Amino acid sequence: MENRIGELRRAQGLTQADLARALDVSRQTVNALERGRYDPSLPLAFTIARVFGLTIEEIFTPED
Amino acid sequence: MRRMLIQFLAGFAAYVALLFLSQHLLAATDAGPAMQIVLTLLPMLGALVIGASILGIIRRLDELQRKIQIEALAIAFAGTALITFSYGFLEGVGLPKLSMFAVWPLMAVLWVAGLVVGRVRH
Repeated sequence: MENRIGELRRAQGLTQADLARALDVSRQTVNALERGRYDPSLPLAFTIARVFGLTIEEIFTPED
Repeated sequence: MRRMLIQFLAGFAAYVALLFLSQHLLAATDAGPAMQIVLTLLPMLGALVIGASILGIIRRLDELQRKIQIEALAIAFAGTALITFSYGFLEGVGLPKLSMFAVWPLMAVLWVAGLVVGRVRH
């Protein structure tokens, strides 16, 4: 999947460490998510959406 | 996590201390066969603490870290099985017999290699 996590994080002035703390995951996981090297589980996707105040579909899009 | 790391270090310290103690007692006393077994296995109490702390650390990992650990452990498990079985066959055609102590370092090296692969992939 493609995602806007990096873009949304930078727009809110957060570091990867800040976002990792908010999501209760490691910074490595945030980095992997942003680079598209890992697709989150559904619970984590919901948490990401809640942190950014958006829906899952507004953050993640399936690859064509 | 910090508590688990302290527990790990305490377990390691206990292992080393009990290892020295067991070796000292085995050399200094005239223990019977049953007591020799007990004294020889004494350091494993520390190893049990180490194992419990590692389990605790793994339970606190996030989902990606757990995925990487599972894949690394699978590589270590399968790799150790393949290598030890292959070497077992080779012992049958004359290669030197190795101690069981060689198995764990082999598994640890493959585990670390698996972690590196996981890190690179993600």
